[in-house]
Amino acid sequence: MADFNATGESKVFWVDAHPMAFDNNVTHKLIKLMRESDATKGLSEGMEAALKVNTSEDGYTYGLRPMFVRVVADEIGLVTKNHPAICDGIKLVDYWREAKGNVFLKTAYAGGYSNDTLGGNFVINGGFSGDEGNLYQIDCDDNILGGVKVGTTICRSDALWVLSHVTAHPLFGINGALLNGGFECLVCSERTRVLRGLDPYPFNGNTNSVQDLEGFCRRALEGHVGVRNSVGGRIFYVNYIWDVTLQPDYFPFSEAPFVENIGFLASSDAVALDAATYALLQKRLNSNGGERNFILEQTNVEFVGVLRQAEALGLGSLNYELKHVL
Amino acid sequence: MADYKCEPTKWNEMKKPVEGGRSTYQLKSWNPTKKKWGPYTKTGPAPVWFSEANATNWTESMICKAKDLFYEAKLNECFEKGDEVAIKIHYGEWNRTAILRPEYIAAICEEVKACGGHPYVVNDTTLSYHTFDNMAISQYQLEGAIRHGYTDATFGCPVIIADGYAGEDDYRVEIPEGNILKETYIGRAIAEADAMIVMAHARGHSITMYGGILKQLGIGCQSKRGKYITHLAHWGDPHDAIGWPKFTDQCPGKACKFHQMCDDSCPRQAHHVTEHGKVFYPERCRLCYSCQVTCIFSGMSGITFEESYFPNAMIAHADAALGALKCFDRGKVGFMNCAIDVCPECDCFPWAGLAVCPDVGIFAGKDLVAVEEATLDAIDNMPISPGSVAEEKGLKPGDDKFRMINGFSPRITMAAAEKIGLGTRKYKLNNYEPTLNPENAAKWQIRKGGEGNHKPVTVRLRDVFAKHDLATEVMPFRRTEYNKEWVFNEWKKYDPFKGETPK
Repeated sequence: MADFNATGESKVFWVDAHPMAFDNNVTHKLIKLMRESDATKGLSEGMEAALKVNTSEDGYTYGLRPMFVRVVADEIGLVTKNHPAICDGIKLVDYWREAKGNVFLKTAYAGGYSNDTLGGNFVINGGFSGDEGNLYQIDCDDNILGGVKVGTTICRSDALWVLSHVTAHPLFGINGALLNGGFECLVCSERTRVLRGLDPYPFNGNTNSVQDLEGFCRRALEGHVGVRNSVGGRIFYVNYIWDVTLQPDYFPFSEAPFVENIGFLASSDAVALDAATYALLQKRLNSNGGERNFILEQTNVEFVGVLRQAEALGLGSLNYELKHVL
Repeated sequence: MADYKCEPTKWNEMKKPVEGGRSTYQLKSWNPTKKKWGPYTKTGPAPVWFSEANATNWTESMICKAKDLFYEAKLNECFEKGDEVAIKIHYGEWNRTAILRPEYIAAICEEVKACGGHPYVVNDTTLSYHTFDNMAISQYQLEGAIRHGYTDATFGCPVIIADGYAGEDDYRVEIPEGNILKETYIGRAIAEADAMIVMAHARGHSITMYGGILKQLGIGCQSKRGKYITHLAHWGDPHDAIGWPKFTDQCPGKACKFHQMCDDSCPRQAHHVTEHGKVFYPERCRLCYSCQVTCIFSGMSGITFEESYFPNAMIAHADAALGALKCFDRGKVGFMNCAIDVCPECDCFPWAGLAVCPDVGIFAGKDLVAVEEATLDAIDNMPISPGSVAEEKGLKPGDDKFRMINGFSPRITMAAAEKIGLGTRKYKLNNYEPTLNPENAAKWQIRKGGEGNHKPVTVRLRDVFAKHDLATEVMPFRRTEYNKEWVFNEWKKYDPFKGETPK
């Protein structure tokens, strides 16, 4: 079972989805999470921050509500006095083959992600083609990729905030800070390189071998190292455990969430954050007893292994303290 | 383009990874020139449609006439159903007031959609034209665009920076026909479109003397490196001051109250102030104009342009326009010039001078040069606006206005453009004025009535009043006695002319 909690080297902040009240609604909770976690500590007036979000494919209907992003963007704006750039990359993993900037934007608008709802500055990471970026070295031993090309909205910013819609993920186990802040920040051609022909749609009847999946996870984590280097390590992460579906946002459909909403987590440590997310999910899924590894059953990915590999790559620590913000 | 089908991605066919890396990326984006490109007009004068800037009834609204011209000039035939249609406009500099009003652009987006096209509005990033330029960074440019009313909500379609977040998302296009340039770089959102409608605000320009649709292509469609090339940043040596700014001995150094702003103006720190002048590092300079514009428009004369720079830049931007046109098949680009608020300077200026002449109207056609020539001729023939720089310089109707105001004749560009096949300077002007009749009055209204269940507002209000008649049920509305003295005489006491009819 996932229980990484030990001495608490890293801090993860968690605000529960329940209870709600007139003075403790989602907005209050998110603001509280930001302030308790000292999330904007590394920011200062004039800085240009980028927010990496997960927009949804046409047909996926449990996408994160734009308001959840807007609240965080406004909190950042209070410090920087600039509205941050809110971005996502063109969906290379694009079921409908519409991977052009204008179609991407139309799909995002249909999901409520527009300048109007987000307060402006909603842009495509990697430009119209999705391939505009810069190469960054992966400075860890025995790496496979050598370097990765990070999308320009992210690599040209002063700081990166990774706002992830937590879902199951058929290639990575869970979509959270590690995947959204790594693989998802790369340009299209780079993501194709990381995928190496893996089929991201297991519902098509194609399955990927465990070995292939492990290879993908490793490469995706290396991508995260490159992204971190591109912003000089100035990254903060928020995981939204809200409408957690089996399908990630790039799927062209979605089924009902498989677990109730658990709330929002924040940390400057991606590994700790995803570990805490995973632990909370496991705890809730096994609340009636038992030790089912639901994520492994559904995705063929042993997420604990992914987390350990991430830690070994220096992306964070499994040794964390979970602070429940009330 | 064939009917668009949503075909799922065939992942099994994508076993081979796409290699990353800037060098590979550049090779792969090499030259998207369409095979069927060619000048639109093959023989004789090109037709240009024009509608004057005036209106006295529903049909003559400038917005309605813009829509009419779209069809009269057959711009609807530039694309097929399902085509991705780029609408190229200028997003306008921060604090600029004389920009093309968003209604004109929205009107054309509506008609592109009505004809089955998928429009999206585009503009590229600029170079840093002055210290406070907002268009050089895509994020700032979008903030400015929103402030001008250029949003997805206004246009009903995406509003995109064509050359990406950093201005590097582009294609290289070869232009061996070019008078000066032999290559340029075009923003991908433009190069990858199936068709394009270019909507320009026709007005003056400090470098190219005049800016209309050709300028929208020759600079507006160029990515950052396309703009550097068009600026001739690769040309000559520092002493020529062609590919570099001209540093004079007029700089007062730190005695200039703008010296910090001047130092800040260069993104590559190619110059810095000293006690009595400037030190210039030409190897760092890429001729973005920032130092020159900052100096000149601060009222100083330490950094300026060589006079012969301008005609060469004008000719170069015609070459660059060809690069943009070569991204499309023949006839896939339509042009519209809105000669409204005809200011002396470009929309990339963070202010707006008084218009040099009254509003002229809208020009449309498929031959770039013909539309430009017709626009220029019409502007030249207009009266001079009082208080404008044109009046200050003593211009008369018929003068080449932008030559007199900005220094060189825009016809230099037109002659160069004609030579490389961008179009013909010979045009036949078709004056278009809509007929006032019930059909035309209804044609472009928000709810035009007559078709399906569409009802004009008054007819719709009948339905509303049938459910709840405001006039009888809510308002205390009843006829009352009134004072006839008020009707015929009393009001005249408030009129400085005592009710006299104007003669």
